[in-house]
Amino acid sequence: MRLKRAEGGKTFAVEILACDGKNLRASIDGEEISGEIEMTADGGAILRFDGQRIRINGVRGRKSIMVAAGPASFEFTAVEGRIGSAHHGLAAVEIAAPMPGKVLRVMVAEGDVVASGQGVIVLEAMKMETTIAAESDATIKKIRVNAGDAVEHGQVLIEFSPAPAGPSAGESQAQAS
Amino acid sequence: MKPRKIRKLLVANRGEIALRVMRTARTMGIATVAVYSDADRAAAHVGAADEAFAIGASEPAQSYLNIAAIIAAARAAGAGAIHPGYGFLSERPEFARAAADNGLLFVGPPPEVMAALGDKVAARRIAVKAGAPVVPGVETGDLASARKFAERTGFPVLVKAAAGGGGRGMRVVAEAGALENALEAASREAQAAFGDGRVFLEKYLARPRHVEIQLLGDRHGEVVALGERDCSIQRRHQKIIEESPAPGFSSAARARMIEAALKLARAAGYQNAGTAEFLLDGEEFYFLEVNARLQVEHPVTELRFGCDLVAEQLRIAEGDRAREPDSPRGAALECRINAEDPEHDFRPATGRVISLTLPSGPGVRVDTHLGPGAEISPYYDSLAAKLVAYGSDREAARTRMLAALDEFALLGPRTNAAFLRDIIASDAFARADLSTHFLEEHLPRWRLDEHAMRAALIAAAMAAEGRIGAAPGGGTAGANGAKADARRSPWTALAGFETWGRR
Repeated sequence: MRLKRAEGGKTFAVEILACDGKNLRASIDGEEISGEIEMTADGGAILRFDGQRIRINGVRGRKSIMVAAGPASFEFTAVEGRIGSAHHGLAAVEIAAPMPGKVLRVMVAEGDVVASGQGVIVLEAMKMETTIAAESDATIKKIRVNAGDAVEHGQVLIEFSPAPAGPSAGESQAQAS
Repeated sequence: MKPRKIRKLLVANRGEIALRVMRTARTMGIATVAVYSDADRAAAHVGAADEAFAIGASEPAQSYLNIAAIIAAARAAGAGAIHPGYGFLSERPEFARAAADNGLLFVGPPPEVMAALGDKVAARRIAVKAGAPVVPGVETGDLASARKFAERTGFPVLVKAAAGGGGRGMRVVAEAGALENALEAASREAQAAFGDGRVFLEKYLARPRHVEIQLLGDRHGEVVALGERDCSIQRRHQKIIEESPAPGFSSAARARMIEAALKLARAAGYQNAGTAEFLLDGEEFYFLEVNARLQVEHPVTELRFGCDLVAEQLRIAEGDRAREPDSPRGAALECRINAEDPEHDFRPATGRVISLTLPSGPGVRVDTHLGPGAEISPYYDSLAAKLVAYGSDREAARTRMLAALDEFALLGPRTNAAFLRDIIASDAFARADLSTHFLEEHLPRWRLDEHAMRAALIAAAMAAEGRIGAAPGGGTAGANGAKADARRSPWTALAGFETWGRR
């Protein structure tokens, strides 16, 4: 099965090779892991492998699975068998708001050519300024918000077309969020 | 003013601190009144209070910063006093004045004292007069004199907001070319955050620690100190880990810092709970500012001194004298768990809490307003929970904190808990190699622990295949689990989320 992290966009190939309720064998991106699993009364489990013990718990939703492993938390979606597919080599097409907030400043204009990592918009949420940067070289095609606008999580802020120099690599902010 | 018992207390705040204040009020037989914004209609502090009043829209300016609405609620409820908590209106003299004008006791310093100390430039002057050392600086934000000061002192310099706090309106300037932009940005941020864009400059200390003194003053002119807290572990000038005592702080330096704090508090006529903040550079220290309110990190002091600072605040507001504290014992640590994504530049994380597992046990305290179903909204700050650990010494507190962080699990918005765990577990933290640059020095390119990542992947794959989480309370997984789960595919049938094992 292929699991894609919602937060980071990275995809992993994960197989449960064997599990008898105590002993566990799995593989992650071809690397085999063996250990033990012990179910806990709260519906979670204790995993032991690589000489470490970690407590896991989680929730399943229609579209994703959320997992807590120790104090860390993750969200995954299952990716239908598109191995090594179109995710790589695509130019970024848009930037979406990674959180709800307010647009403080728009630092670019339509038609501008931006470099990967260049700040394009400053959002304010929870009393902090967050600069949203282009994740690839691109040309600003359309700016869909103005300074002062309140934006929702996932709302498209800026649309891109590929930079004139040619196609660029990397994943868009939208995919990453 | 005559001593006056508080019978009903309005708490002009939200989140964990509103709950914290109400808990103490209840133990003292004081009735509590909550105020809430639209976004907080179902928030924990509303349910915890004896009465609750809606005060406006979700935007803080319309509600928790709305002095008229809060005073009106206090009058309607027949409250005798207002506790401001921290943040929001807690350090606004006009709020303290409005309370007094309406015959309400304000649980904090008098407005004129607050006004003098709230202005960092004025506070610096008070400190200098009281003989407390201050960081070399210049009381102006205009470009010409800023340039002159920076050339004389040498870069880097620090631009700070006169009305500031919490790192907002603060910029480190490494070279002359960046000075103009930094002054503008700091001023803009300060204007937005505090409604006051004035900034000033200070020499930037290379590797300081942040150490602060907890103070309690009364209206009879007495001020007492309850030791220090080391709050050196900061990210973007926001404290994330605090502890007491400050490790390796010599008793001579501690005595001098306490003396300086007491002198300047007495000089300012300080009343109620407050904190004098200092930068510690070797054995030398410099006054930073006074926070004229209860601090977020006050539980660290409470555990060490065995006291209840909110109870002290309420007693003092009623007219009692500040009491010399008992001798402190052991060591205490606090971690601030924030709703933010540590893998994406700590951007704010919002949304519904689906499940929350909180640590407990000897020497562990958790202050939080969250529970399953609670909403972390974008309108307010990102503090999700404070984990506090106490032990006979620092190492005992540290190992308890590690265990507590391992027990903590929040499903829903992401948190910095895994990041905090890695700090607490680091050798540098264990040997107390503290400075405000700790994170840049010791965890410059923090990444999520690979082991946790792999455990999560295995767990997610097993859940997706129905191998775990299928049989409530059942001890077996594998084939049985898969069979039990076949009735309802987690990928199609479930609306929203459900916790494993709770069916």
